[in-house]
Amino acid sequence: MRTTGPDARSRRPRPSFETWSWFFMRVSGLVLVFLALLHFAITHIVNDVVETDATFVAERWDNPLWRLFDWTLLALALLHGLNGLRWSIDDYVRSPARRTSVKAVVYTFSGVLFAYGTFSIVTYG
Amino acid sequence: MSAGPDLAPAVRAAPAGTVYRGRSGQWAFIGHRISGVLVFLFLLLHIVDVSLINIDPHLYDEVHELYGNVVLRLFEVGLLFALVFHALNGIRIVMVDLFPGAVRRERRLLAAVVFLTLATCIPGGYVILLPFIEGTLTG
Ligand code: HEM
Repeated sequence: MRTTGPDARSRRPRPSFETWSWFFMRVSGLVLVFLALLHFAITHIVNDVVETDATFVAERWDNPLWRLFDWTLLALALLHGLNGLRWSIDDYVRSPARRTSVKAVVYTFSGVLFAYGTFSIVTYG
Repeated sequence: MSAGPDLAPAVRAAPAGTVYRGRSGQWAFIGHRISGVLVFLFLLLHIVDVSLINIDPHLYDEVHELYGNVVLRLFEVGLLFALVFHALNGIRIVMVDLFPGAVRRERRLLAAVVFLTLATCIPGGYVILLPFIEGTLTG
């Protein structure tokens, strides 16, 4: 952002929701580089997929730090992906009424799955 | 992007209503969007299949075994490509935001993203498909 004049700082608008969402995408994205790629490497490269059975999950979730890792990945990926989907909906669904209903469905669905996933991680065992 | 003389004839020749065909940046945008949405949709499915473990561990194992068959292994290779491309291209976006001067090297940065994606995902995909390649596939 480039502004000129002596009072440029005071004329700079207060960050809006969209500014924060832009910033959040960058920060969460950089954190997800580690969380998501490490998660994929553990479950598909270091171990073969068929090895990541219920026993494997039980052993990992025995350690609360892995539960924290998995929950952080769940929360950040969902929020990051949901915000990205919101941008895409705004681009492609042009009628205000349809835009509202599409978003209502997507938010409800993601919200329910977020609660369900959180419930699974927290209450397992 | 420079509005070089090569652009003018193309613009004049384009009939009204034609889809805009941009250059590398446009492809990067499309790739970033599609890979992001695909990974997000998989995440929704993945929450459901992992949560089966809370209902019954045997049910989890039965459903989870499906991920071992060839078709789903190929899907996992696709997921790897989407995730790694999206991650590297996301890093490129953040870099260009932080260092606007990098815009001048836009094409080279994108080439690096594509190169690194291929260089990591081809070996990674090979590892995922290994049980199939070696004929030891069970599921
Ligand atoms: C792995 C590390 C990741 C990085 C570095 C990253 C980075 C980014 C960045 C910087 C943006 C904003 C693009 C812009 O402002 O133009 C973005 C958009 C997006 N991301 Fe990610 N992301 C990552 C992981 C994920 C994951 C795991 C998902 C899915 C759950 C996802 C889904 C999306 C979606 C749907 C968009 C919107 C695309 C668009 O508007 O065209 N990303 N990502």
